[in-house]
Amino acid sequence: MSSKSLLAAVFLKEWLKIRWAWLGLLGVNLAVLAYLFVEMRHQFQVEHSEMIWYWVFELRRLLYTEIKYLPALTGLVIAAAQFVPETSGGRFRLSLHLPVRGDLLVWGWVGFGALMGGLLALLDAGALYLIVGTWFPHEGAVSAVRTALPWLLGGWVAYFATALVLLEPQPLRRLVYLGIGAGFLALLYQERGYQEYDQVIGWLTLAALLLVPAVVLPAHRYRHRC
Amino acid sequence: MTARLARWSLLLLIVLVLAVWLPQLWNLVFEYRYGKTKLFYSPVREDFVYTELLGEGHDFIYRDRAGSDYTREEFEALIPFIYYKNMELWGRLPLELAGQRFDKAAIRAERQVMALDPVELPSHAPRVELFPLLESNPGRARLRFPENAFRGGERLEFIDSDANRLDPELTERYSEALAEQGFRFPLQAIFGRVSILKAFDAGYFLVDAVGDLFHVKRLDGEPWVNPVPLPEGLEVRHIKVAENQRREFLGFLVAKDGSLYLLGDGDYGLIPLPLPGYDPDRMELKIIFNPLYRTAIYSDREQIHAVAMDRDFEVIARYQRTMAMARPRLVDRLWETLTPYGLSLREPESRYVALSPRLHPAPGAAIGIGLSLILAYLFLRRRGQSLRASAVDLIIVALSGLYGLIAVLVLPPDRRTAG
Repeated sequence: MSSKSLLAAVFLKEWLKIRWAWLGLLGVNLAVLAYLFVEMRHQFQVEHSEMIWYWVFELRRLLYTEIKYLPALTGLVIAAAQFVPETSGGRFRLSLHLPVRGDLLVWGWVGFGALMGGLLALLDAGALYLIVGTWFPHEGAVSAVRTALPWLLGGWVAYFATALVLLEPQPLRRLVYLGIGAGFLALLYQERGYQEYDQVIGWLTLAALLLVPAVVLPAHRYRHRC
Repeated sequence: MTARLARWSLLLLIVLVLAVWLPQLWNLVFEYRYGKTKLFYSPVREDFVYTELLGEGHDFIYRDRAGSDYTREEFEALIPFIYYKNMELWGRLPLELAGQRFDKAAIRAERQVMALDPVELPSHAPRVELFPLLESNPGRARLRFPENAFRGGERLEFIDSDANRLDPELTERYSEALAEQGFRFPLQAIFGRVSILKAFDAGYFLVDAVGDLFHVKRLDGEPWVNPVPLPEGLEVRHIKVAENQRREFLGFLVAKDGSLYLLGDGDYGLIPLPLPGYDPDRMELKIIFNPLYRTAIYSDREQIHAVAMDRDFEVIARYQRTMAMARPRLVDRLWETLTPYGLSLREPESRYVALSPRLHPAPGAAIGIGLSLILAYLFLRRRGQSLRASAVDLIIVALSGLYGLIAVLVLPPDRRTAG
């Protein structure tokens, strides 16, 4: 089997594992976005538009916090859907005996999971721009998306942290990974107004990329555990 | 190799997370409400007086520059223009100072505080550049927001907030009015105070493409534009508009060279403030006006400065001291020894979330790093790691001290993955 067809097989297997969870998440994301639209529309029906602009631009009130934890929830559920079945009943160990390098296999899995999470994050970002842009000028809509960037990065961190925790065979190490994930996630939700992460989002993204090489460690330990 | 890379990545992530959250945890346990020293120029003593918290509980001192201590009541009587309501309660009004009498009405008419904080500077806070242009002559008791906001650019564009669409008529009218007064687009900067809770509306100050300054208002529904003359070579960095019912000044003007001016109401006269060492990016500033003096008080996190001036802003006296809050405590010293730095998420001078490194003084931090390195080395050796195999771990510890040590302890190398 060529590595290309093996990768296709890995992706197919991952899709089969997460399809219901992903479709459920798609539904949840769409429902929350629809709620955000209705909520914002309601806001503009019961309050004067110029006052809402004042709250948002001057008082820095965020009118779209409904989606704040949505990417993190999405990442967590996708990782759980992918790796809970793997780690139960020793199936993970079987997978690691496929004729392909274990680290490449794990990266194939998380690549697929991250891609599927990324699609939902893209949906959230695009919908946020369109929803906010319905009642606010372009600057307001761009500002909303920039404000949401750390929350979207939270999806990435939650996904990889959950993968680390679930793939890790040793309970104490699981706690360490849980601590890293929780500590990193907590960095991303410290805003008190709009665009406050503009100066650090690049650095935080670089730090979050460290999770890509990191995620193969539990697989390595799983494979070599006694 | 990928397993080792994976572990090093995790070590770095642990260091990042600990460098942010451990200092916060330390602060949560040991921080105390010292606050900044409150410094004034006393018109009674004709000298500086201050109050600050020295220790835990309510260990306040009320002291003058010469070191004499006062009770709280005596201290308040030294700055009677600040505590004029207490003076009235205690039957000490009218005041007789410098050969003049001041009753309550006279004091109230001359009192004013103007403040400028670093966080108010444009580069210290994100800002959606859309501003409501209020009607400056509302013909009623309160100001109200218009149903549109404007943005800068190649024109002064007004957006209708109900329709969320450009208002071409207003855009045309205001852009033309500006151009007629010599304003050259594109617009560079907009300064104003967005609020309806103010004594009156002073409109906005706009900087044009060549750095000239213009004052813009909506007056009786029409554009009102006035060029503001600036001294040769003065480049505007920021204007803080502060409408006050005394109507002596419209606010502060911060020049790009760091100098600071009060901007006069009406004639736009600029009064330079002689504040040695003042840095608008780091220091909070207050100007306290009373019937006899103007006192500028400015401080960073360690030093507080004061300049007392007469009514014409001629300097009478200056004072500078290290605030009690800046004196390091034993717990601070201990922390600065344990860890080489912390990553601060928030700085008081900015609205942005940051990961600003706060480096700890070298001698203490070096001890902490040294101890961490020894402990990490002993730990790794106990786990059968050679010095060569431990090199990257030890480099991480050398660069991060306690954080790196904790990372190595909670994520030790597997014997299989070790080189």
